[in-house]
Formats: sequence, C-alpha cells, structure tokens
Amino acid sequence: MDRVLKKRIGKIVTWFLTFVLMLIISVPGLWVVLTAFRPNREVLAKPAIWIPQDPGWTNFAKIFGFGAEQIAIPVPAYFANSLIIASTSTVIALLIGMSGGYAFARYRFKFKNKIFLGLMLSRTVPGIALSLPIFIIWSRLGLIDAKLGLIIVYVALNVPFTIWLIDGFFRQIPKEMSEAAQVDGCTRWQAFWHIEFPLAKSGIASAGIFAFLTSWNEYALASNLTRSTDSKTLPVGLMDFTAQFTIDWAGMSAMAVIIIIPALILTFLVQKHLIAGLTFGGVKG
Amino acid sequence: MAAIRIRDVVKNYGKLEVVHGINLDIAHNEFVVLVGPSGCGKSTTLRMIAGLEDITGGEIFIGDRVVNDLPPRKRDISMVFQNYALYPHMTVRENLGFGLKIAKLAKPVIEERVNEAAAILGIDELMERTPAELSGGQRQRVAMGRAIVRHPQVFLFDEPLSNLDAKLRVQMRTEIKRLHQTVRTTIVYVTHDQVEAMTLADRIVVMKDGYIEQVGSPLEVFEHPVNTFVATFIGSPPMNMIAGRIVKKDGHFHIAFQADQTVPVAADLARTVTEGQEVIFGFRADDLMPDEHAMPIPGASSRLRLKVDIAEPLGTETILFCNFAGKDIQAKMLNPRPVPPGEVMDFSLAIDKAHLFDAASGHNLRN
Amino acid sequence: MTQADVASTANIRPRRRRRRNLTPFLLLSPAILVILFVVLLPLLFSFYTSFTGYRLIKPETLYQWVGFQNYQRIFADKNFWAAFGRTVLFLTIALNLEFLLGLGIALLINRITWGQRALRTMMMFPMMFSPILVGYQFKFIFNDNIGILNNALQALGLSEGAIPWLVDKYLAMFSILFAEIWMSTSVFAILLLAGLFAMPRDPLEAARVDGCNPWQVFRHITLPFLMPFAFIAMTIRSLDVARAYDIVDVMTGGGPAGRTELLWTLIARVGYDNARMGQANAMAYISILLSIAFTYYFFTKLIAARKYMGGAD
Repeated sequence: MDRVLKKRIGKIVTWFLTFVLMLIISVPGLWVVLTAFRPNREVLAKPAIWIPQDPGWTNFAKIFGFGAEQIAIPVPAYFANSLIIASTSTVIALLIGMSGGYAFARYRFKFKNKIFLGLMLSRTVPGIALSLPIFIIWSRLGLIDAKLGLIIVYVALNVPFTIWLIDGFFRQIPKEMSEAAQVDGCTRWQAFWHIEFPLAKSGIASAGIFAFLTSWNEYALASNLTRSTDSKTLPVGLMDFTAQFTIDWAGMSAMAVIIIIPALILTFLVQKHLIAGLTFGGVKG
Repeated sequence: MAAIRIRDVVKNYGKLEVVHGINLDIAHNEFVVLVGPSGCGKSTTLRMIAGLEDITGGEIFIGDRVVNDLPPRKRDISMVFQNYALYPHMTVRENLGFGLKIAKLAKPVIEERVNEAAAILGIDELMERTPAELSGGQRQRVAMGRAIVRHPQVFLFDEPLSNLDAKLRVQMRTEIKRLHQTVRTTIVYVTHDQVEAMTLADRIVVMKDGYIEQVGSPLEVFEHPVNTFVATFIGSPPMNMIAGRIVKKDGHFHIAFQADQTVPVAADLARTVTEGQEVIFGFRADDLMPDEHAMPIPGASSRLRLKVDIAEPLGTETILFCNFAGKDIQAKMLNPRPVPPGEVMDFSLAIDKAHLFDAASGHNLRN
Repeated sequence: MTQADVASTANIRPRRRRRRNLTPFLLLSPAILVILFVVLLPLLFSFYTSFTGYRLIKPETLYQWVGFQNYQRIFADKNFWAAFGRTVLFLTIALNLEFLLGLGIALLINRITWGQRALRTMMMFPMMFSPILVGYQFKFIFNDNIGILNNALQALGLSEGAIPWLVDKYLAMFSILFAEIWMSTSVFAILLLAGLFAMPRDPLEAARVDGCNPWQVFRHITLPFLMPFAFIAMTIRSLDVARAYDIVDVMTGGGPAGRTELLWTLIARVGYDNARMGQANAMAYISILLSIAFTYYFFTKLIAARKYMGGAD
C-alpha cells in the first residue's frame, strides 16, 4: 500500500515538473507568436490586455508590403537574401563536408586526429572576433554587402560541424558494404554512389538542415558584413525595428515568426538523426 | 583455369609486419581453408587475394595474372563476408543482381542468372524481401547467392558461419560443401574453427603469427602435425602434451616424466632421439583407452593406471579427465557408463600413434 | 631473401599505393582550403593588425607598427578586465547550470514513458532558435513597461511598480543568463538523454543486487557512464558560446552603461563603433584564446572519457 502511494506521488511530481518545464520552453515563443497577430497599440496598452481583442494578419501584410499601412523595412528582400544565402552555403558545405567526412570515416592517414581537431578548433573562433579581419579583407575584395561574401563565410562556418556529423553517419555503415560492392565489380566511386551514399542519405540530409539553420540564424557576422537590401538577412533586418522611435513590437514579432517557422519545421524533420549523429560521432570516436 | 599462387607475400601495417613472406599454391577448383587463431594473418591473406588490402611485398597470381595492382573488381572473384554485408536498401533480388547490373549485363541475362542462383540456394521465396526481413541463415544464403551469380573464378569466404548459432552452422557447412560440388570453382575459406576446416577442406592451411605452419589434407594435418602448435590446434579435444626427457632403460629409450613415470619411445623414433633430450610427448585422447573396452591396440602399447578426476558424458562417448605426471590429460571412453569421480582405472596408451616433439623447436620428431 | 629480392619487392608497386595515400588528402582539400582562406588567413591578418594602430577611417594606419601598445593598453584598461571577468563568470555559471538543469531534465524525461518522443522533439526547439530571436523574445518578455513578466507580476499583485529587468545591473545580467540558459540547456538535456537510452541495464542491476541504494547507483554507475555525453555537449557548446553576443546585443547592447558588457560586445564596440580595429583585434585574440582553451579542455576530457567506452582510434 505504502509503495503504491509512493509510486503515485512520484508520478505526479514527475508530470508536474514536466509540465512546468514545457511551460518555460514554450510560453516565450508562444507569446511572441500571439503578439504577431495583434496590433501594436494593444501590445503597448496599460493595463495589459491579455486576450487579443482584434487578432489578424495585418502585421504580416504590413511587413510584406501588402495592405494599407506600409513600413520602411524591406522584409521580402531580407527573406530572399536569407533564403539564397542559407541554401547556397548549405549545398556547398554539404559537398565539402561529404568529401571530408568520407575521408575521416574510411581512410587512415597521417595527422588524422590533428586535422580533425584543427577543423573543430576553427569553429571555436567567435563570430565577432572573426568578423573584424574578414571585414577588412572583404572590403578590399569588394565582398562587403554582397551575398557571395556571406556565402563564403557561412560555408567555412558550417564545414567543421558538417564533417563531424557526416563522418559519424558514414562510420555507422559497415566498411564491408563498400568492400562487398567493390568485389561485386564497383569502382570505389561507384561503391560510394550506389551503396554508401544511399545508406547515409538521411543523415546527410539532417546535417544539411543543421547547416541551413546555422546560416539562417547567424547574426554576429552578418550584422557587420552586410549593409543594404543587397545582402541583409532576416536576423540583421530584425534589428532595423529597434532603430525606430517607438519599437514596433507587433511588427517585430511578425518578423520573428517568419524566422522561427522554418526553424521549427526543419528541427522537427531533423531531430532523430541529429541526436544519433552527434552521439555516434562523439562517443565512438 | 584459376589456380592461385602466393609468392613471398608480406603485409605491413605501418611498421608492424603481420604476414611474413608466405608461399602457397592453390589448385584449380580446390577448396582450401585457412585456419588459425585470431590475429594469425589468415583474414589479411584472404583480403590481399581479394584486393581489399594492399600487398606490401611479394606477388599474388590468379590464373596467370599478377593481381597485385588490380582493384577487386578486376580480379574476377567474389566474396562472402563475415557479417554478410548485404545492401540493406535493396531487395534480395537487387542484392543478387547488383554486381551484374554494374557490369552492364542485359536485363534478361541478369534475370536468368539471379533465378539460377536463387534456385541453387533455395531462396526463390525471399526474392522481394529486404535483408532486414531475413533470418541469419537466410542472409547467409543470399550472401552466397550474391557470390555465385557472377560466375567468378574464385570464391572467397571470410568466416562466413561465425555469426550463426551452432545448429545452423552445421547445416550451412554441409550446404557450402554441396555448393562447391555443384558450382565447381576454386574456394579460399577462412575460419578460426578447426572443425569447419576439417569438414570442408580439400587442403588445410594452418597459420600462426603471420606464418604458414602446415599445409595438408585434413587427415594429414590431423595425423601428422608438424609441430606442437598444429597438434594442439587441430582436433578436439586437443592433443595431450606432457614435457619429459629421454632416458635409457634396459637398452631402450624411454620418456621420463615427473615423479619417475616413464613411457617407452616408439620403435620408429628410436634413431631420432638422444639420451637426455628434452621432449614433449603428445597423444590424442582417442589413443588412451580404458582397458575395459577390451579393444585391440595396433602396435606397441603401454599400461597406465590413472585416477579419474571428472567424467564428461557426451552420449556416445565420455571424456575422462585424469592426472598424469602432474598434467591434466584427457582420455576417451567409448562404452557409456557413469564414472564416479576418484575412480581408478587401467588404460592402454597406443605408443606407435603418439607423437614426440623437440621441446626447444616444437618440431615433430617423426617428420 | 637476397638484397636484390628486397629491392624488387620494395619497388613493385609504389604508384598505386602512393595514390591511395593521397586520396584522403584530396578529399579533405576543399575543407582545408575553405578553412584556410576564411578562418586561418584572416586570423593571421588580424594578428598582424593587433600590432598596428589601424583605424578603419584612416587606411594608411594599417602599416603603423605599434608593437605591444594595443595589448598594453587593453591590459591596463579597467573596462576590458571588467568585461573579461564578466565573460568568464558568465560562461562558468551558464555552462554549469546548463549541465545541472540538462541532467535533471534528462532524468525527468527518462522516467516518462508516454509522449516521450514528443517531449524530446519539443526540447530541441530552443536549440534551433536563432540567438537573435531568443534575445528579442526575452527583451520583449523582460521589458519593464510592456513585458509579459511585469504585467503578470502586477496583475497577480506580486509587484507594485515596474521591475527594471534589463536596466538594473544584476537583474540585467540575470535576464541575459536566463535567455542563454533557456536557449542552450536542451543541448545537454538531449545528449544526456541519448546517453541514458544507450545505458546498458546490466551494471545498474548488478549494482542494485550488490546493495547500492538509488543514489549510490546514480553516483557510481549512471553518472560516470553519462560523462562522455556531457563532454560532447560541453564541446559542442564551447564551439559556439560566443552566440551569447547576439543575445546581449539585442537585449541590452552591453548597456546600460556597460553593465552587461561581455568581451564580444566590447570587441564590436571598439572595432566598429569606435573604428579602432587594431585594438579590437588585440581583444579578439584574447577572446579566441579563451574559446580555444574552453574547447580544448572539454575535447581532451571527451577523449579521455570515451577511452573506457571502447572508442576506436
């Protein structure tokens, strides 16, 4: 009897804590989403209005330039920049990462661990610290305020982690698969293309999603290497709002939602593989 | 014709040499088993034949071509891996046909060959499944099927049965032997299990520490082991080995053990031994038989009275663990009856079938 | 083997072997080139700049060698040391709390059988949020005038006036830490949870049979097993601790009056706002060394910890 009671209390405590945890995780985001659908005057109202009186899509229409009210922030251009920069850099980083990850997973060579460590350490350089010399060099090369300039930087930013993940996914495929294919008449490249690549595909896709999100979310470098609608990305654009006299919380929230949504969808797609990749690559060396 | 010739083959991993210049000739259509404890270089040798490992030195011929520089796909071989290495994203049919597809054979040809292989192995029913849906034995069959569809000159097997349970292993062993009779090709088979080697091979190659210790038919290797290693490695239970010294008694050579026990040296060995020589005396459990069998022993024999420590009944026979000259030895009793521990029995030891090895070199003094 | 034999076997086939040895380097070359061009080269350049009096508005100052003057100046600068100390303190508190909270959350979720997958997925969301969004979100929530937190406290009658979350020295630091921890705890939680899933049952059962109480089982069996996973999380985290720059930049901009200034915001201010690139680069170098030290420390811990996990290489 005592034991049953103890168990039940334990269960209730567990669920209560979980509930509080999920509340802390989700309320901030949900509040931003809610704000995105209400007018700014309601946000600024004192005393606070808790239940939205007048929900609607006006904030979105406004920042995308439809509707009556116009704002001075070219969100569609930022959105396009973000999309182009993030996807291009992701594709390039994936190609480089696949080739590098395959080398780490399948070959033994000199300085292997040192090169791996070197690649990882390159990722530790804080974005803001890296932005200073890149700013100076890029401005001489004419890469400031250009999409290409940011793409190159993001490729370098994503390569180490992409290699780490993809190395892990290739390691999960037994070496014998590739050997069997080679005995079956494949060249090494055919063995990769017909056997190893299809097996690692979902893992590689999630590494790609991760790289995409890193670029999509990056701020420290982008805020210093971009200037105008030619190259400004969404996170940088978000700060445009703070430059105005009164902060347009509602508009900002709408823009935040636009940045969040791809992140949420992609996270949902990627979560399983990401955990597997991180732990496998890390623990099994 | 696909004979394999291995000439002075050496394999290094960095500074570590793991195969030390081995030589081996494998005849066309021969079934050769490389056997030895783990780390003896047998798998490395097989993988060098396959082209999956670089050859550090020496040459390997398949047919009359030197294959050292050829990648696996150009060697006209196929291989069954320990973990089968079936392609998990393909059906059984696609697995079987993959090599032919890569070779750009016509669809009908592929179809025909795949069906032929499936029929030989009895996997027709499984063709549309994926490897994940197969049992261990079925995977094993598919892996063999994938090897035979390509009609290669040489089959390579790398410990193919080690992942199966004991019962299935015996069954697949027979199937591999039958397969060799159906599809006559040269087979090189690697295993650490000496029973597999004995049952399958035309010739056994016993390896240890990167050297070939002995090459011969299963019976040769069993009855005439060249040294103590082969003697203990081949055969179950392992050969009994007791260290002793040659002494002369009444004009005849004897082997003296601890505690003054002696056994006469077989007549044919009298010329090869010298007085005072340190030797190892070896005999199989089958050659130490209880007198109650009342079976005639060919050649000379020696009577021993031993106390039985433990008896392990195996059904048709019972293994008796006794102590002789301070060593645990095993004898075989063929008439099943319960043996209480501590029972003292009389045994006859077949002297002419026993072996004598030089203690220093380990060589068999009979060869 | 005669001498001639040795010679002939040695040069039988150097060609193919040489090519095989080159393949991995060939495969790695794009990665190495990109890192060289975008990270190493700029870093060498910034190292040079840190010894010049380079100011963005005067290009010719790039060649004005000043020796260690920049370093002397920042080492003598009270603001720099304040930011440095604050950064180290910030990292220490954040990483430790994230580890403890992450461990707690992992153990909690591990107990739940129903809806576990959904909870796990939900936990990953903060990790994927842009730091700039996390910063914005909490700037909004902690806003003293219209923030939900103050509104809620006032509505519940827990507080009379507006609490200056982002203005007060300590509260602002707290708010930033809260945002940082909110964003990054899930890295720990998720990896430690993966560790718990991978945990073999036998040692746990053996320990229970051997007479350990639940705390002892946790302390001597579970925790040591989880440590490699914690170090993976630490390593991953130390790779991008500087993401905190984004959060601070949005929430307080280092203000008010430098009270939440971290090393990274200080670098940005000196380099871009004051245009003193040379000096900013000197600080940047110190921040880089700090990051590398953190990462290297955790990485070696990880290597050591995974040794007994049966890791390869």
